[in-house]
Amino acid sequence: MLLHNIWIAWKSLRRSPVLSGLIIACIAIGIAFATTFAAVRHAFTRHPLPDKEASLRYVRLDNWDPREPYPGGAADALPPQITYRDAMALRRSTVPVRQTASFRARLTVFPEPSVGRPTKEDVRLAHADFFQMFDVPFRYGSGWTRESDEKLDQVVVISEALNERVFGGRNSVGQTLRIETRDFRVVGVLAGWLPSVRVYDMTGNALSEPEPVYLPFGLVVPMELRTVGNSDGWGGRGGSPTASFAARLASGESTWVQYWVELPSPADEQAYRSLIESYIAEQRRLGRFGRPTNYRVSSIGTLMDDFQVAPKETFALLMVGLLFLVVAAVNLIGLLLGKFLARANEVGVRRALGASRRDVFLQHLVECQVVAVLGGAIGLGLAALSLRSLNAFMLDTTSRGDLFRLDLQMLLLALALSVAAGLISGIYPAWRICRLAPASHLKV
Amino acid sequence: MLSLSHIRKVYRTQLVETYALDDITLEVDAGEFVAVMGRSGSGKTTFLNVAGLLDTFEVGTYRLDGEDVSRLSDAAMSRIRNQKIGFIFQSFNLIPDLDVFDNVDVPLRYRRLPAKERKARVENAVEMVGLSSRLKHLPSQLSGGQQQRVAIARVLAGDPKLILADEPTGNLDTLMSREVMDLLERIHGQGTTIIMVTHSPECAARAPRHIHLLDGRVIDTDADLFAEHTLPGLAAAIQ
Repeated sequence: MLLHNIWIAWKSLRRSPVLSGLIIACIAIGIAFATTFAAVRHAFTRHPLPDKEASLRYVRLDNWDPREPYPGGAADALPPQITYRDAMALRRSTVPVRQTASFRARLTVFPEPSVGRPTKEDVRLAHADFFQMFDVPFRYGSGWTRESDEKLDQVVVISEALNERVFGGRNSVGQTLRIETRDFRVVGVLAGWLPSVRVYDMTGNALSEPEPVYLPFGLVVPMELRTVGNSDGWGGRGGSPTASFAARLASGESTWVQYWVELPSPADEQAYRSLIESYIAEQRRLGRFGRPTNYRVSSIGTLMDDFQVAPKETFALLMVGLLFLVVAAVNLIGLLLGKFLARANEVGVRRALGASRRDVFLQHLVECQVVAVLGGAIGLGLAALSLRSLNAFMLDTTSRGDLFRLDLQMLLLALALSVAAGLISGIYPAWRICRLAPASHLKV
Repeated sequence: MLSLSHIRKVYRTQLVETYALDDITLEVDAGEFVAVMGRSGSGKTTFLNVAGLLDTFEVGTYRLDGEDVSRLSDAAMSRIRNQKIGFIFQSFNLIPDLDVFDNVDVPLRYRRLPAKERKARVENAVEMVGLSSRLKHLPSQLSGGQQQRVAIARVLAGDPKLILADEPTGNLDTLMSREVMDLLERIHGQGTTIIMVTHSPECAARAPRHIHLLDGRVIDTDADLFAEHTLPGLAAAIQ
């Protein structure tokens, strides 16, 4: 009967093409607005590593000034990153199966003179576990080993784009790349890695593309590297101005390191939290962590909320889009009612031939759904065009050409919204038409 | 087949009450062919609507095929209309954008019959009315007589026990009227009960039994239409 009702609906649409077109256009515009804004919001809230939600944790510690809380309004606000010395202390823990400190620097890369000129490149300093923790894909080679971390090997992982530029796209594993004044051995080339959110560092622009160069974190001291990302601190840079770089790193309260751990089970997470609490207590005895104990061991999802990766405006836009769809659907009630009442005689005939009120109700509701789904399909096309324009705009600011896209979730959402719009606009007219007294609308 | 007892149907407005059917009591046996006559406004169509479960009534009892159908749910009334009653209308009431096959198929779909059985019933019914070559024609491509034959085929396909015909020849010329009445006689000959509202004495003459309505009342249930002993004023009323 459903297929038959769809067939009747199709015939009905063809019977009054102008009115049907108007109704479909209304739904299409509503769906286009709602889906476009939903896709924009979805781009910002899409989980980049759903498989890692249960195990990857980001560590934050409140090492802030005992006299005043970390700026931000909330009483339990705390710095988004940790200090170098806290990172080094946490790294001694054996509870996490994997862990990495990380930050972003900017260094000069020197290709062979015959290939190109030196360029300043963003460089990610990280530990060996970084690549496995964030499911980084490789075109050639792999990340470096933990042993390389310990021995401060001068090894480098580069992006596919940089490999193309410096080595012509060939397998460059084993080749030498000069960075600043040192020669590095290429151990891995990434395979077009572009997570939806730069999950490992959400302290800046989380939609930025990943860095083209990756070096062992331990090189921060011998190369005297400084962050080019966000940093917060209080009480000066630490140590006297004449102290060595390493000594200053070891004594300052400046926070600029992101710290991630992989904890496979809730028990591991509990153990790690105990460890952090012990560490804070120990540091308090040494005169640090003067504020009430405050730390976070957060999942990726929580962190995305905390760092507001999705701008609040996207939520407002989504609400506007949905409201527009609802208004369009409500406006269609009158049009559909008029369309249905115009063929009250046909309903009378069907009732005389044995159609129950339920049959008539379903027939007209299916017609509303056919209209809504047709409108939804056209609306999806319009949304795809809108997102294409938005992507072109975003390409300039994030180097991403496909930030906003209609994935399966968005397609299902558009379908659900279409069905909802069909129900909103169709239930009342279908109910009214099925309540008509058959005798009074039959032509005799 | 059909038993109405003290049926009253009232149309009310804020100012006036109109008794469309006023204390009607009537029996029609299975297999009868009855002509219902009366002038405009006498309640013929209301009678047919009530008898066909298309309209409700305030007072009285209605038994159809042995079953009390006075106060049934909408679904139950729809099922009875679909399975036991067939309607033939003056204005044919075919669905304009369905072809002959699909029009005849409509009541069978509401009966949820399998496609194979529906096809056989439709083709058989259309053949009985002599329109097998017009199965894919739309109503607008048929003459009035052909459209009424499609409407009759729609009834035949459902194989009802009772056919209610409201002025079945009212929109047809003499020749086509005769064809339609021949068809109804053939259907009646197969044992189907037919109640036909008509203004036409010629058509009424084909029915062995006549019922005359006046102001919502049955004034004669078995009179010879042209006999002199009919109730006073009846001859004038039906002209």
